[in-house]
Amino acid sequence: MQEKKLGDYIVTVEKINKTFPNGVCALREFSTRIRRREVVVIIGPSGSGKSTFLRCLNGLEEIDSGSIVIDGIPLDENKKNRWEIRKEVGMVFQSFNLFPHKTVLANITLAPRLVRKKSNDEAAEMAMDLLRKVNIPEKAESYPSQLSGGQQQRVAIARALAMHPKVMMFDEATSALDPEMIGEVLDVMKNLAEEGMTMIVVTHEMGFAREVSDRVVFMEDGYIVEEGTAEHFFTNPQKERTKLFLSQIL
Amino acid sequence: MAVKTSQFYKKVWLKLKRSALMDVTKFLVVVAVIMWVLARGTQQLGYNWQWYQVPKYIFQFQDGQFSFGPLMFGLAMTFRITAWGLVLSMTIGLVTALLRLSDSFFARIVARGYVELIRNTPLLVQIFFLYFVLAPIFGLSRFFAGVLALSLFEGAYASEIFRAGIVSIHKGQWEASHSLGLNTFDTYRCIILPQAIRRILPPLTSQAISLIKDSALVSTIAVYDLTMEGRAVIAETFLTFEIWFTVAFMYLMITIILSIVVNFLENRFRIQT
Repeated sequence: MQEKKLGDYIVTVEKINKTFPNGVCALREFSTRIRRREVVVIIGPSGSGKSTFLRCLNGLEEIDSGSIVIDGIPLDENKKNRWEIRKEVGMVFQSFNLFPHKTVLANITLAPRLVRKKSNDEAAEMAMDLLRKVNIPEKAESYPSQLSGGQQQRVAIARALAMHPKVMMFDEATSALDPEMIGEVLDVMKNLAEEGMTMIVVTHEMGFAREVSDRVVFMEDGYIVEEGTAEHFFTNPQKERTKLFLSQIL
Repeated sequence: MAVKTSQFYKKVWLKLKRSALMDVTKFLVVVAVIMWVLARGTQQLGYNWQWYQVPKYIFQFQDGQFSFGPLMFGLAMTFRITAWGLVLSMTIGLVTALLRLSDSFFARIVARGYVELIRNTPLLVQIFFLYFVLAPIFGLSRFFAGVLALSLFEGAYASEIFRAGIVSIHKGQWEASHSLGLNTFDTYRCIILPQAIRRILPPLTSQAISLIKDSALVSTIAVYDLTMEGRAVIAETFLTFEIWFTVAFMYLMITIILSIVVNFLENRFRIQT
């Protein structure tokens, strides 16, 4: 992949803490900054706070302290800001979470129509473009339950893209998929990265990390243990914990 | 050879068992048994049946003029009460469920209090309270007092059904909707309720049928519904059993119509697979 130019910082996270009501501490003084067009892959053992971090970024979980600023908008008590951020940040879930009572097309057009106030035709046209982009235009009138897991996840990606987000987050987007279907979803994600989308990807797919990411962050217990380029991780990890983790998953 | 024939009979028997003819036969046998039991029971009662008297209380031809009898007026009134009651109780039920699930502590307490109060007191007392105590203050008509009491009562039950339906929707649906920037109102309207309704249609139908039958209680405040008209006819004619059975059959007609409508809705709303 040729060198790409990263932009200014779009996501700024400073010293956020998050403890769940059951006492589990998911994020401790967690700080990071992410540039426009950067692809950040977050890895780490389960329970290390990776998913919680993503969920905090679009306000699905509330942080206890610290600050999150996305594209100049602070995520704070102000509800308006939170909705504004959710519009700008797309999220793809491990379990797809498509709306089962709506067709693929309706899944994609719903938010643009209601939130971005697009007309039906305009939204449908854009949705078809997105479906072509994720290679399943023929499924527009199908219902989610009629699709394979890989197809459903691609629809979920298209649905998130339909809001024209500035940042895309993937929360273990391929973990629930059959091995054969992982590739088709990763391909879509790769294309997206090549188009210059800012992406935060929680994944166990090291191939993806190596090929696409600008930076890999290794988390444990709510901390960043180590971060650097994928190259650095695979050839020369510094910390013992990182080495151990990588040796187990590679 | 013998094995073959026995197999053949088995096959025929299996086919017969599954056929529609068999179903009809079974149905007729059951009906016949019930009729026989009823006939025996009424014979022993020594009651003088006068079914021929009944039709004129439903409708009559006089001088070539067709007119409805009192039972039909009662039926129309029960229809009106039911229609209003259904709309009101479903609205109350939904709003109460949403209040109970809201973030506001006050709203939750109010909703909880309402549900507990209504569910744990008799409907009859509620009707009297509304009619004799509240109706004069707010200037409610007899009809509306009855409908309101009925709706408040059934609404409390409906709210629990709505609540169960709403919380049964996977939280991933909320998260997906919120992460797309939909607000709570749109999420309920477009994502949660359409899915919840499909799940709760069967228990909601039971609730609606309860409402239809409980509507008979408004006759206690002299709203001329089916039950009230039936009672009036009986007072006049002493056709106790004939009229009550007729009235019961008319209630059955309403509930069956309701069931058919719901069936139609269920088919329409079914999520395609």
